[in-house]
Amino acid sequence: MIQIQDLTFRYREGEEPVVEDITLDIPDGAFVGITGAAGSGKSTLTYAMNGIIPHCYPGDFYGSVTVGSLDTCETSLTDISQLVGSVCQDIDSQIVTSIVEDEVLYGLENFGVPHDQIEARVTEALDAMGILDLKDRVISSLSGGQKQKVAIASVLALRPKVLVLDEPTAELDPASSRAVFELLAHYAEEHGTTVVVVEQKIALLSEFADMLVIVDQGRIKFADEPRRVLAHSEELLALGVNCPRSTTLMNRLANVGLYAGPVCCDVQEASNALLEVIA
Amino acid sequence: MNGFLEYVPGDSLLHRLNPVTKIVFAVVFAISCFCTSNLIFLAVLLAAAIGLAASCGMLKQTAGLMKAVFAFSIILAVLLLLTNPSGDVLVELPWGYIGTGSIMAAVATILRLEAAAIPLFLTFYVTKMTDMSNAAVKVLHVPYKYAFTFASTVHFIPVFMNDMRSIMEAQTARGVEFDQGGIVNKVRLMVPLCVPLLVSSVRKTNSAAIAAEVRGFDLRTRESGYKTYPFTAADLAVIVLAVAILVAAIIVP
Amino acid sequence: MIEFRDVKASYDKDIQVLDGVSFTIQDGEFVAFVGTNGAGKSTTMRLMNGLLKPDAGQVLLDGVPTTELKTSQVAKRVGFLFQNPDSQICSGTVREELMFGFKALGESGPEVEARVDGVIREFGFNPDDDPFLLNRGTRQLLALASIVVLAPPVIILDEPTTGLDYKECKKVMDIISRLHEAGTTIVMVCHDMEVVADFAKRVIVMTAGRVVDDGPTFEVLRNPQTLTRASLIPPQVVDISIALPLMDERLAASPVAFANTLDEMQAAVVEEVGE
Repeated sequence: MIQIQDLTFRYREGEEPVVEDITLDIPDGAFVGITGAAGSGKSTLTYAMNGIIPHCYPGDFYGSVTVGSLDTCETSLTDISQLVGSVCQDIDSQIVTSIVEDEVLYGLENFGVPHDQIEARVTEALDAMGILDLKDRVISSLSGGQKQKVAIASVLALRPKVLVLDEPTAELDPASSRAVFELLAHYAEEHGTTVVVVEQKIALLSEFADMLVIVDQGRIKFADEPRRVLAHSEELLALGVNCPRSTTLMNRLANVGLYAGPVCCDVQEASNALLEVIA
Repeated sequence: MNGFLEYVPGDSLLHRLNPVTKIVFAVVFAISCFCTSNLIFLAVLLAAAIGLAASCGMLKQTAGLMKAVFAFSIILAVLLLLTNPSGDVLVELPWGYIGTGSIMAAVATILRLEAAAIPLFLTFYVTKMTDMSNAAVKVLHVPYKYAFTFASTVHFIPVFMNDMRSIMEAQTARGVEFDQGGIVNKVRLMVPLCVPLLVSSVRKTNSAAIAAEVRGFDLRTRESGYKTYPFTAADLAVIVLAVAILVAAIIVP
Repeated sequence: MIEFRDVKASYDKDIQVLDGVSFTIQDGEFVAFVGTNGAGKSTTMRLMNGLLKPDAGQVLLDGVPTTELKTSQVAKRVGFLFQNPDSQICSGTVREELMFGFKALGESGPEVEARVDGVIREFGFNPDDDPFLLNRGTRQLLALASIVVLAPPVIILDEPTTGLDYKECKKVMDIISRLHEAGTTIVMVCHDMEVVADFAKRVIVMTAGRVVDDGPTFEVLRNPQTLTRASLIPPQVVDISIALPLMDERLAASPVAFANTLDEMQAAVVEEVGE
């Protein structure tokens, strides 16, 4: 779905490239988690996928990014947006209206969705995020988690083939963060949507993603199934990425020779594996 | 929690009117206030404006607005009082006098500003910004870019006010006493806070622009709007009423 | 000592956020407040340093109600680190930022200079850097430093690790942990249960404006009723330790059912397998 080929990008005001020699192939329908230390270039990497670079930030762009069949450099941002839906980091600045329904309408109106389909699309998107009952609410009266779901629903309504989210759970409590990931995963599976999400909460990524990408100083260090990436817990720690505790626990037991099974990605897997170890 | 100029949902007649009607009415009403100096007529207009606020359950916010407008208009009124000698002499001043006419003019100014401000202010509370800009685009053929810029500006006021509040809280927590001393002290303390506010607003506006663009802002035309804003009999009646008020304001001596 | 006595509070006089909250925090404690967004944690923090006054009940700092204290008096006793460092930082250089609190309190002199220099060294800052050009994690550290420099006996932290990566988070928490060891009372709101488990000695759980549980960290995080009631997800090791006896009841008395940390769990498994 997304092919990044030898991408290097330097912002005009920066001296060093923020991402360098990135080559990444994201298959259709994948759920990709990107993580890395602050300033590692992970946000910039998503900007390359949704066309924000080179279209919104000037700079030196080398290599190529292809989404679907579009070369992002040769396609206008508006055309890319029809294919790639983006949810920004700062929800407050993404929201343009005061009522939930209007927020979902906004993109639909802009992209000229026929008026007789709009009602159904609004309902579908709100329902997918489980917030149909909030339709008529004033957005500023919602909690952080609800606002985030509104922001996502307003992008889902456009039925993008690819969904790019930049730290969607940064402001949320653990229960709401989990809820957002569950809804996203469910939606993506049902609609065959490719999801790319930047996230600090590694435990959520390990559990939900099919592909985990670790970025360090503008370069990709790992891009593989979470299980394979998490096997390198020591190396990850040096890059400023802390594995989930359940993974660390089982890796430690493996190191002392008590466990020989596959790397565990979440509590469930670790509990099952431990039960076998003890038995 | 409702912020300044933030939409308050409701189902009153005012809520249901066409946004364009509301704007036209509020503007014509305000013009009317400036077309008359008749104290009784101004008092009636003010009473009508307060009645409007009551009809959509917005008395509390209106009281707040009236206080603010009063503070501002009292300054104007005092200026008028001192610089506009007319009517019977009441107090001699070195450069003129305060007369009955001056007092009338001063009172008229206060009434006029209060009456003119209320409907304009109510319009923002009973109309969603999106409806206002969509209706302006659909009905008045205002280019969408301008309507959207205006709507976003208003939309961001509460966001920035919120930012300002957290910035002031953060400084208060470090011992800055905004509540001590006079206005000069307060301004002196607030100036350095403009820097963080500016930084965060530049960041916010920048990401807001990008966020709008990736949701097809550029494609929007007059036909894009999903909601229609038909004129009803009520709208017509309200516009006729506005014109009648204006005519009355001009005719009434 | 911080004492809440049946505190009720609201925001903008309309929406009640706290509905009768009582607790006492002794000097030198390390307390974490947990609960979902909107449970009233941030409001509790604002009440604690006098930014907000209670509608009913009392908030006492060392026995004095906050209503009787001026903000500058509270500021000397209670430092407050906000979630977003950008709302706090307002100076042109790191050094000026660290001097800001002293200026606000009207203090100056060689002692102040020495204190500022000491903190600059301790945190490893460059005093002439422009705070707005630093990255998010460093700005958070600077915001923390500008509180630490005033040496308040109590420091309140509103989600100190939000938006930080693991290394930055560790750096911030190491400093907080050192302050705690040196006798500072630490009160923090924190969503990251691993951080809570690693550092806090006591946890207060809030839901819908009330305290629903209050006690030693792991007692609270292991209480199934509390976890459900407050929609909490326990730290992963605790989660595993709770899950194991449910999957195999023979493990109910095993040390794995009581292990709270990675080290404890590892030792427990070794013990269990060795038997």
